[in-house]
Amino acid sequence: MKKVLLQGRGLTKVFTQGQTNNKALDEVDVDIFEKDFTIIMGSSGAGKSTLLYALSQMDAVTEGTVSYRGQELTRLKAKQLAKLRAEEFGFVFQQTHLVSNLTLYENVAVAGFLGKKGSSSQIQRRAQTLLTQMGVEKAENRLPSQVSGGEAQRAAIARAMIGEPGLLFADEPTGALNRSHTGEVLDLLTALNQSGQSVLMVTHDLRAAVRGNRILYLEDGKILDELELPAYQAAQDRQREGRISGWLSKLQW
Amino acid sequence: MENRILFRAGIRRHKGSLIGIAVLLFLVSLSLSTVLTVSLGGGSYIRQEMQRAGFGSLTAWVSGVPDMELLTDSIKAQEGIEGLQVQNLLFSDYEAKGVESDSEGQLILWSGGDKTYRFFRNDLSGYSEAPKEIAHGTVYVSPSMISIMNLQIGDSITFPIARGGQNVSLTVAGYYEDPFMGSSMIGMKGFLICEADYTAILQDIAETGMDSLARNGAMLHIFTEAGSNASIADISQLLNENTTISQYTEFIHSADAIEGFMGILQNAFCGLLAAFALILLAAAMVVLGHSISGVMEQDYKNLGILKTIGLTGGGLVRVQLAQYLAAMLVGILPGILAAYPAAKAAGRMTLTTTGVLLPADLPVLPCMAAFTAILLLLMGFTVLKLRKISSVTPMKAIRGETTEIRWKPGKSFQMKIEGLPFRLAVRQLLSGKKRYVSACLIAVLLVFFASLAGRMNTWLGPEGKGMMDAFNPADLDIGVQAMGELEPEEMENMVRSYTDITDSYLLAMPSVSVNGTNYTANVITEPERFHISQGDTSRSPDEVVLTETAASDQGVGIGDKVTVRGDTGSGEFTVSGIYHCANDMGANIGMNREGYLTIGQDAPQLWCHHYFLADPSKRTAVTEALTEAYGGDVHVHENSWPGLFGIIAAMHGLLVFMYGMIALFVLIVVLMAGGRILAAEQKDLGIYKSMGCSVKMLRVTFSLRFGIVASIGAAGGTVLAAILTDSFVSAVMRLAGISNFASRPDLSNIVLPGLIVVLLFLGCSYLAAGRIKKADMAVLTAD
Repeated sequence: MKKVLLQGRGLTKVFTQGQTNNKALDEVDVDIFEKDFTIIMGSSGAGKSTLLYALSQMDAVTEGTVSYRGQELTRLKAKQLAKLRAEEFGFVFQQTHLVSNLTLYENVAVAGFLGKKGSSSQIQRRAQTLLTQMGVEKAENRLPSQVSGGEAQRAAIARAMIGEPGLLFADEPTGALNRSHTGEVLDLLTALNQSGQSVLMVTHDLRAAVRGNRILYLEDGKILDELELPAYQAAQDRQREGRISGWLSKLQW
Repeated sequence: MENRILFRAGIRRHKGSLIGIAVLLFLVSLSLSTVLTVSLGGGSYIRQEMQRAGFGSLTAWVSGVPDMELLTDSIKAQEGIEGLQVQNLLFSDYEAKGVESDSEGQLILWSGGDKTYRFFRNDLSGYSEAPKEIAHGTVYVSPSMISIMNLQIGDSITFPIARGGQNVSLTVAGYYEDPFMGSSMIGMKGFLICEADYTAILQDIAETGMDSLARNGAMLHIFTEAGSNASIADISQLLNENTTISQYTEFIHSADAIEGFMGILQNAFCGLLAAFALILLAAAMVVLGHSISGVMEQDYKNLGILKTIGLTGGGLVRVQLAQYLAAMLVGILPGILAAYPAAKAAGRMTLTTTGVLLPADLPVLPCMAAFTAILLLLMGFTVLKLRKISSVTPMKAIRGETTEIRWKPGKSFQMKIEGLPFRLAVRQLLSGKKRYVSACLIAVLLVFFASLAGRMNTWLGPEGKGMMDAFNPADLDIGVQAMGELEPEEMENMVRSYTDITDSYLLAMPSVSVNGTNYTANVITEPERFHISQGDTSRSPDEVVLTETAASDQGVGIGDKVTVRGDTGSGEFTVSGIYHCANDMGANIGMNREGYLTIGQDAPQLWCHHYFLADPSKRTAVTEALTEAYGGDVHVHENSWPGLFGIIAAMHGLLVFMYGMIALFVLIVVLMAGGRILAAEQKDLGIYKSMGCSVKMLRVTFSLRFGIVASIGAAGGTVLAAILTDSFVSAVMRLAGISNFASRPDLSNIVLPGLIVVLLFLGCSYLAAGRIKKADMAVLTAD
């Protein structure tokens, strides 16, 4: 029996521009399970990122509730949400979004300091270890502007992991990377998931989607369907891709 | 047409910055215009009123003249003298509200129809019609008597006319404008009385003879010929040598000196305010420079695009310049207009100190000249800052390539969990130095001036000791001068009944002439007590010390010889040193008792006994006891004079005004610079929020940046003030004859100004960072 980690109920998000209202999420009900690698797919403008940010409470919803481990997040104050993000959530973005005037190491360490899980030296050691795991230890003293996109994104994953988050949110993490860097980043995320890390990732890339064990398909702000897959194995990439493609074709993607 | 569209678009886009610049220049313009109005208008008004009232180029206060006609005829007969007018008066001490005057008052006869003086409304809101006659038993006084003695309409002033308690008590009926002696900086004061009272007092003086305390006298207004090349000093020398005037002169002053006395306070404060306005202008220019750099950064891409559609660099500079010029004019012009009510309010507020209602009419030509120069300076500066537009190439701009130097990370300041907000703030500063330069420079300028004013305030002291030391030739706790038969031992016994006398010396202040020019001599029994700044004191009977003013007027220095004439003869003396005494705007010489007695007459009443008390807090009690016991037979003074409190209050007012302006400046600067920084850091703020950084921590980090920058600037400003205060303030003080200004550093003037400015920067930036709450993490999303 899977344990619900994050739960969204009746999630509605309306963007207002002038006199036009655009419903990006339309009464979405969703459960994200512990230790799952959940993928959110959908066409451009379907509301994938909006759902991710609604569930992580990076953005407030117009209506609906979000609960994490049974605690309702939509009632939390800004300070409590900041604490939750520092201690329980990790984020990886499409454009890496590292703080421009901090080195890769500092980007990771500062996030750890905010999470306050351990002493200063413990966090510093953990940051070094994570950067080594991500294979960017040689670039750790460089600024984000001085490294490749792949290195920056790996450092961003290290930053997201420094606080030992309960859930890792990834918003198109390979969207801005070339083919070889994409593979590296996906391998890292897969390895993290296989070591027990829960991951919720938004993507429109089939090669990324195959890494998940559960795929939600979003269209016009609603979850149309979902697909359960067995745990990822590298040798089964083609089969998984075929299965997902077929499922998506049925959904007219 | 395209320029007009671009101009309007630019105004819309950068309205925040432009409004900020306009507000800063409004403050500069308001301060400077007000200072110019009060300073220039005040000076010319006093001169004009003195001329209208019929005061001459030289005025001598005389008493005991046996034959006035003979004296005036002999003066009129001198070469270079065009005319002379005599204004009769009575010299008398006075006492009101329990305060005894330090200097003699002058009871002046005023008759209905006399146009010499102007009268104020009772609430001092402006002028009123002159009374038909001054009522019997009443008196009109200068409004400065309010600040000196808190003298209100209906209060009584007592004039001791003769020994044995023969006093005249007059009730204050109103206030008049005295352009001659009205300022609280001048000890002698005029009192307008009616003919009946004047005649009665005159008769009392005649009847009491030797016992009379009041004296009959006159002001001799001497007019020199218009075309005469002779200086006032030459005329004074001529009169001393060829007439008997020096035998009867109490004091003699030129119109310039009187104008100087009357303007000391407003000139000193206007000088400081003008300097402050210039500091504000410099700060406004720093903000302007920062704003232009920010706008260029924001518009970099747009400038490239505009060049691709055919606009030239010069054309774009002109459009930008027009925007800034509009903001400058919007700030400066209302500032000039607002100076009218401000100067009017300043005139009314200072009336009880200056004694004259300073005009609020804007001096058009000086203002136009000043602001044309300021506008040209600002425009030149703007063009200089905008010149980079010419080097923007279209494709470079569109690609977003800037020439900004990138920051290189070092290992000197590592991130640690301890003091994380501070460490993040330092990192932001190190990587974005240019953005904070303006805040730092402004902190330097503001702290410099606040520190300078603080040092002046410390010099002045809570009881005005600094000013008194500048005016007194030597230190004292209390001075007692016996006017009648009273024995010094008797006075000393009374003083000792309150507290021990730890030390004492004698000081007399007779009139003498030096090389033919009138001066007050400070004759002392212990010459080592003089405040000597150069050379040595006058230890030997043939030595004198001069003030810096007197030495400069006479063109003599240490080692030179001067001829000093007293009431019994004259002698040649060697200048042994320079000392401080700002009395009579520095027209003083110092000599020892033995030296003076070779040229002047000795008399017990001449000497004032200066005492140092074991418990100086008993001064007031001793003064009251002596006055009560001996009345008109004794004159007691402390190391203070009532007008001093007006100066101290004005100084405190200036400090409050200055800190108000500083707070406003800091707020505007932080809002402008901070707004731009926050706009540029939207993404970083989103990232920090996504990492779990609280809004409070982000705000603290943001305000710490300004706090650190302000601390660096404050340190610079404090050092600058320590280096420049003495020379700068001394230059202003010298105008008032005060040459002993030396700032005394203490905790309040070293630490406080910097601390206040740093706290203001911290507070204002924390407030400005309130918009971080609204920083949306949606900037990070992929959709």
